[in-house]
Amino acid sequence: MSKAETILEGLGGFDNIVEIEPCITRLRVQVNDAALVDDAKLKSAGIFGLMKSGTAVQVVVGPEADNIADDIEDLR
Amino acid sequence: MRVFAPVSGKVVAMEDVPDPVFAQAIVGPGLAIEPDADATKALAPVSGRIAKIHPHAVVIEAEAKGVLAHLGLNTVELNGQGFTLHAADNEDVQAGQIIIEWDPQAVREGGRSAIVPVVAMQAKAEDVHGLVAPGEHVNAGQALLEWD
Repeated sequence: MSKAETILEGLGGFDNIVEIEPCITRLRVQVNDAALVDDAKLKSAGIFGLMKSGTAVQVVVGPEADNIADDIEDLR
Repeated sequence: MRVFAPVSGKVVAMEDVPDPVFAQAIVGPGLAIEPDADATKALAPVSGRIAKIHPHAVVIEAEAKGVLAHLGLNTVELNGQGFTLHAADNEDVQAGQIIIEWDPQAVREGGRSAIVPVVAMQAKAEDVHGLVAPGEHVNAGQALLEWD
């Protein structure tokens, strides 16, 4: 599974994602249901870190954030 | 490699940046600068190639290292408003060259922090040495970090 696929699954899939905004080193994600976010799955993608505050999730992926966001969009 | 201050202002320890990703050095160690109100010109912190530029942030690659300068916190939410780019992706730039113009005071008035983290991306903490102590003032273009 690609990094983008793993992250998408860890976020609960497209149905759970309101918006993904890449910002240099992180994906800023708004989700519908924070309970559907699978931390272990996200961490298995080799991410640097994870910050969660309610339905706002930040997946720190390093400098390739923009590419990963594009890869995730391509899976749609 | 020497990393220069992109803006003038007061140097702040990275752990004191009010953002957990920067404060915990998740993308790397470095120093932050609380910009002066008139620090409207952001300079390239190193000479190299622009790996990625956003209106509010830039990553420059030099000597197989990546240096990130991020203008303010949560400034991605401004969608580029108030930021003028003077460089593009993949462009070669010289340290000290103006790459972004912005208004830190307007960012503050908009309720956001204007602090500028300067990050040695994915560096080991022991390889990055601050050349200006937190609390001191630094001028744009002045040496800020030494990255072994």
